[in-house]
Amino acid sequence: MGYKIKKGILYFLLILLALVCLLPFLLMMVNATRSGAEISQSFTFIPSHYLKDNWVRLFDYFNLFVGMRNSLLVAVPATLLGAYFSGLTAYGLAMYRFHGNKVIFGAILAFMMIPGQLSLIGFYQLCAKLHLINTYVPLILPAIAAPGTVFFLRQYILSSLPPSLIEAARIDGANELYSFHKIVLPIISPAMATMGIMGFIGNWNNYLLPMIILTKNEKFTLPVMMATLRASLDVAKNQGATYLAVAISVIPILLVFCFFSKYIISSISAGAVKE
Amino acid sequence: MKLKKLTALVMAGLMAASLAACGSEETQTSGTTETTGSASTTESTASTDTGSTTEAPSAQGGKLVIWTLAKDLESFGNRYAEQTGVEVETVVIAPEDYPTKVQTAIMGGETEPDIIVGEPQMLGDFFDNGFFANLDDLGAKDYDGKIVDYVWKVGQDSDGVQRAISYQITPAGMYYRRDIAKEVFGTDDPDEIGKLFKDYPTILETAKTLKDAGYRIFASDSEINYFSGDSAWVVDGALNVSDARFEYMDLVVDLYQGDLTAYANQWSTPWYQAMSGEVPILTAEIQNYEDSSVNVWDADQFAEATADLEKTTVFAFGLPSWGVLTMRDNVGETSGLWGVCSGPAYGFGGGTYIGISSLSERKDTAWDFIKFCTLNEDTADWWIEFSEGDTVSLISALEKHKDDTNSVYGGEALYSFWLKQAEGIDYSKVTKYDKVIGDAWGAAIGSIKTGQASREDAINTFYDTVASTYPELTINR
Repeated sequence: MGYKIKKGILYFLLILLALVCLLPFLLMMVNATRSGAEISQSFTFIPSHYLKDNWVRLFDYFNLFVGMRNSLLVAVPATLLGAYFSGLTAYGLAMYRFHGNKVIFGAILAFMMIPGQLSLIGFYQLCAKLHLINTYVPLILPAIAAPGTVFFLRQYILSSLPPSLIEAARIDGANELYSFHKIVLPIISPAMATMGIMGFIGNWNNYLLPMIILTKNEKFTLPVMMATLRASLDVAKNQGATYLAVAISVIPILLVFCFFSKYIISSISAGAVKE
Repeated sequence: MKLKKLTALVMAGLMAASLAACGSEETQTSGTTETTGSASTTESTASTDTGSTTEAPSAQGGKLVIWTLAKDLESFGNRYAEQTGVEVETVVIAPEDYPTKVQTAIMGGETEPDIIVGEPQMLGDFFDNGFFANLDDLGAKDYDGKIVDYVWKVGQDSDGVQRAISYQITPAGMYYRRDIAKEVFGTDDPDEIGKLFKDYPTILETAKTLKDAGYRIFASDSEINYFSGDSAWVVDGALNVSDARFEYMDLVVDLYQGDLTAYANQWSTPWYQAMSGEVPILTAEIQNYEDSSVNVWDADQFAEATADLEKTTVFAFGLPSWGVLTMRDNVGETSGLWGVCSGPAYGFGGGTYIGISSLSERKDTAWDFIKFCTLNEDTADWWIEFSEGDTVSLISALEKHKDDTNSVYGGEALYSFWLKQAEGIDYSKVTKYDKVIGDAWGAAIGSIKTGQASREDAINTFYDTVASTYPELTINR
């Protein structure tokens, strides 16, 4: 009996939490169907009938799907490269003993503390000199150096990858890169999936850098495009269209999340070693 | 190091500007091909007057890149492209990020954009950093007097060099209900009603009269804010708090404490609702969010929670000329019952100012575009129609449309009214300190009216804030 009550309370709390997390999404979708005036005047969960108007208004400003394609062109390679090279770096730092290991790790930690906005003008000038303005290269390549991801993966490798596994591979004649790909990657994939999700969301929502680097409308990524909805004489009118744009733009994030989260769960038990 | 770089860039910008200027002068006199500019080539219009569209450069296939924070310029750009054949590329950037974007690009040595814009509060920094090219070198001086004076002045840097021009004016006016005016004051004539707002003590009297008649003068107590700049905050390096400032403070406090407004917050739901008719009179506690039983941002809940509260109709709103469009969209059934009259002083709010990037390589085309937007009567006519009632800055266009009536405002001829208001604005009273000092003053008023601080304490806090933000100012307490 007591167990049932406890469970009941637990479920109630969990359902409440789930509601708190999901209601904003619902609200976003409902608001996507309402007009700007309605949104600024009240708050409701009953959809209105302005979806089509919002759609037309939105596409009057820009083509959302072009923005989505651009964002994918940036976010997918940036995420994959970031995860792979961070894994490689973290593995090296965690598994090899060499002079300067600690110094390099310390330097990586130190770089985590520096906000990227500081070097904005310098970065812009560098890109201008290299003729990379208006290309996606400055948005993708720097993502390879992700100190936060390296730090996280290194700690993960130290705690979950027994060195004996690698030794066994070496004895069997695997070279270092081979053992990284065949043995280390599967074991650290839950951590990489976690950082991959973070990285993808970060790259997808990245606003400041694309806003600075990209100067052609047709190259704009989604967040930069959506910001232009605010640049109108009557911002209030565009509220519905903004909600619609946001609602559509989270779809890829949800998809990525579904895909990667399966990984997180399924890989936790993989790669065990018998002590 | 940074300073050095900046100076170098500014110098380079100036050099480029003067080079381009030489170029344009050359074309002006001899009509030869532009030497410093790139593809923009022969400008035939540099020497002509305001010019109708026929005088614009005939199709020559130049290119122009516009970076703007208001979507308006995209429409201007499209029209310019249609008429001249110049390829116009407009990039719209969110207003809050616009300064960052422009600063990075120009400091990074970018030669595109050609056209950059700014709102009045951004322009000071832009000018100081040398982002805007000198328009006088391109011939802006010839057009002095064709644009409403205060707009012309806003576009000048501290040395009086023209760097930006706006296509619109944004003087402030009082929007009032004609039917209520007739009932309470026996007239709805804008000149007569304007007298009811002529100074702060009179506004308080008007407010009391209206309350006795069962109305409220304003929905919020922020309605006179746009008019409060009738003396400069800083005179000769010293903070200047004029008597009018104190009168304004007292008026806001009296309006609030004397229960003379509907206690709505500007831009909140009840504030918008007050434009279309009856609203419940909120309490001071609701306005301050101390009483959370009423959600002022939700219409349905709001109607339910305030069903028992006394209802009233609001008499007036104080907004700049772009309020014409805001009101039009929100007045609902009271359309036609409104009028516009002058407030206690002249004031203005907002506006988009167009200039040329100092690094642009197509300054002549860019200057032609600015003339097209701001000094061309055909464009002005088109813009008035296209924007459905925005107020342009070209005097001849305002005069041409002076008899145009607006049905939302009981057939009042608004353009001549706005012109008169704009002519009264004295831009010398505007300083770069206004935003910070104004906000601090507003905070002081806020804490007095709600009783959080005594008048004396609040004013001392205000002095302290200003002193710590601008140590260079002399403050006579």
